[in-house]
Amino acid sequence: MHLKQDRMTSRERMNALFSGQVPDRVPLGAMSTGFNTRNAGHTVADAYKDPEKSFTAMQWTTEQYGWDPIPQYAGHTVLGAWDFGGKVRMPQGEYEGALVVTEYPVKTEQDVEKLVLPDPRTAGRIPEALRFARLQADNDLPVYFFSRSPFTMAANIAGIDRFLRWTMKRTELCEHLLRLSLDHIFNVLAIWVDTFGAHRVFAWMSSPTESNQLVSPRIVKKFALPYHIEYHRRLGELGVKRFGFHICGEQNLNLPLLAEACPWAHPSVLSFGHEVDLETAAQHFPRDIIFGNIEPAVIQTGTPETVYALCRAAIEKGRQAPGGFILGPGCGLPVAAPPVNVYAMTRAVHDFGWYV
Amino acid sequence: MDVAQKAALLKQLHDAVVDMDEEKTPRLCQEALAAGIDAYTAIMEGLAAGMDTVGRFYEEKEYFVPELLLCSDAMYAGLEVLRPHVKVGEHAAAGKIIMGVVEGDIHDIGKTLVKTMFEAAGWEIHDLGKDVKLERFAETLRDTAADVVALSALMTTSMMAMPKAIDMLKAVSPDVIVLVGGAPLNAEIAERYGADGYAPDAIAAVETATRLVTKAA
Repeated sequence: MHLKQDRMTSRERMNALFSGQVPDRVPLGAMSTGFNTRNAGHTVADAYKDPEKSFTAMQWTTEQYGWDPIPQYAGHTVLGAWDFGGKVRMPQGEYEGALVVTEYPVKTEQDVEKLVLPDPRTAGRIPEALRFARLQADNDLPVYFFSRSPFTMAANIAGIDRFLRWTMKRTELCEHLLRLSLDHIFNVLAIWVDTFGAHRVFAWMSSPTESNQLVSPRIVKKFALPYHIEYHRRLGELGVKRFGFHICGEQNLNLPLLAEACPWAHPSVLSFGHEVDLETAAQHFPRDIIFGNIEPAVIQTGTPETVYALCRAAIEKGRQAPGGFILGPGCGLPVAAPPVNVYAMTRAVHDFGWYV
Repeated sequence: MDVAQKAALLKQLHDAVVDMDEEKTPRLCQEALAAGIDAYTAIMEGLAAGMDTVGRFYEEKEYFVPELLLCSDAMYAGLEVLRPHVKVGEHAAAGKIIMGVVEGDIHDIGKTLVKTMFEAAGWEIHDLGKDVKLERFAETLRDTAADVVALSALMTTSMMAMPKAIDMLKAVSPDVIVLVGGAPLNAEIAERYGADGYAPDAIAAVETATRLVTKAA
């Protein structure tokens, strides 16, 4: 679905944002996976295990709601627990919306030393992610590569409560896991670049374990930030130009750190949850495109009027961002979001999102 | 050991918990017992007092989850020493609580911290773990006649289980107090779901539960 007054295609809209020009309207992103496959009559699990169903469902849902393809992914490309030898199962039942780790690869300190870098072609769901990426390339879409941050991935390998204890007591184990995580990310990213060309790849990252609901800025500075800095150095060396960062959850205390380091190329897309005010985000990151920040729980449980009002307020704040703005949910679009609430976001862009 | 020396030992116990010292805490607990300090007193005025301070540090954003986990490890190491010496039946629990992460959700770090704070506050705890089938909450309530049931969810998908769980719990015991918590929840959603209360963190959970139980009494 194109909104009636669209004067740009999605590609033109995103190119305008990335080149610092004003697009025709505020783009609308979705961060949606399971919602799409359910929308198309499939299961949530299909989003992760069936790239073809997932891709087709995603394109139809994107058209239905007038989304711009930023980002579009069917789950993470690389995963900590799964890729490093843990056990994962597909979501099942009415209350599961994502992959479920059933066994972590690391259960003891000794397990850390036994870890080896996974096969970058066959580990976890990399083969399925590559099939999905080929579909994106074949359909002239950006080819997304989605990882968690090295810190979040390392926590996923060891189990979060074990890892967080080690940040205080066994820092060398954390460093080992962080190094393995970053190197694995780039072993796989190199395949994406070789296969599709650096100019086609859009690297996207999320960092939920860096949220201040879990850790202090001191921990982020000591453990997470050095690996963000190295990540972006290596991303640049590979020639990947487009990057998006989902700064997940309550991260207000981390913003000054991230703003000072700002290791990514500019502009990048920085996605925020409802916990971070859009004006605050824009003030800290004036050179980047701000994405967000409609609370997913409200999209799921609220009324379309409530969602519409939240979107209107977000558009009015976000469109002032000097680096540009994309309206979207503050985290993954809920699988069970009522369709009218998802449409309310589209309607808000239609009513309030035009620049000219 | 005189009164002042005993008070100093209890202060050391408090400090060992706050300092996340999993080795020193049980050692000090042994010393406390040897010095004739009542085990329950050592728990409440040493370990639990330490966790009160930890809770304050958490609210003031000096401590975060890693610190809370390590303080909790120290506390539990001390409890392991002291609990067998608490005179049975002499001290009533502050309350009885069932807690768990609802069906479909395996994220239990928040629930673990809630458990620690309720433990420190002297509650009797029935921890059902994670990915708990809704029927199990109701069965456990039937078996234990708990005052409070605390439900946790981190995902927008798993939080959808809460209204059904709450209906099942209220069918077993209309007077049971149901608390909900977890990242996607807030007070408004909690009320809409039929919960009696919502807590944004582990420290607030104990305060809210205590307030609601007192009010109901």
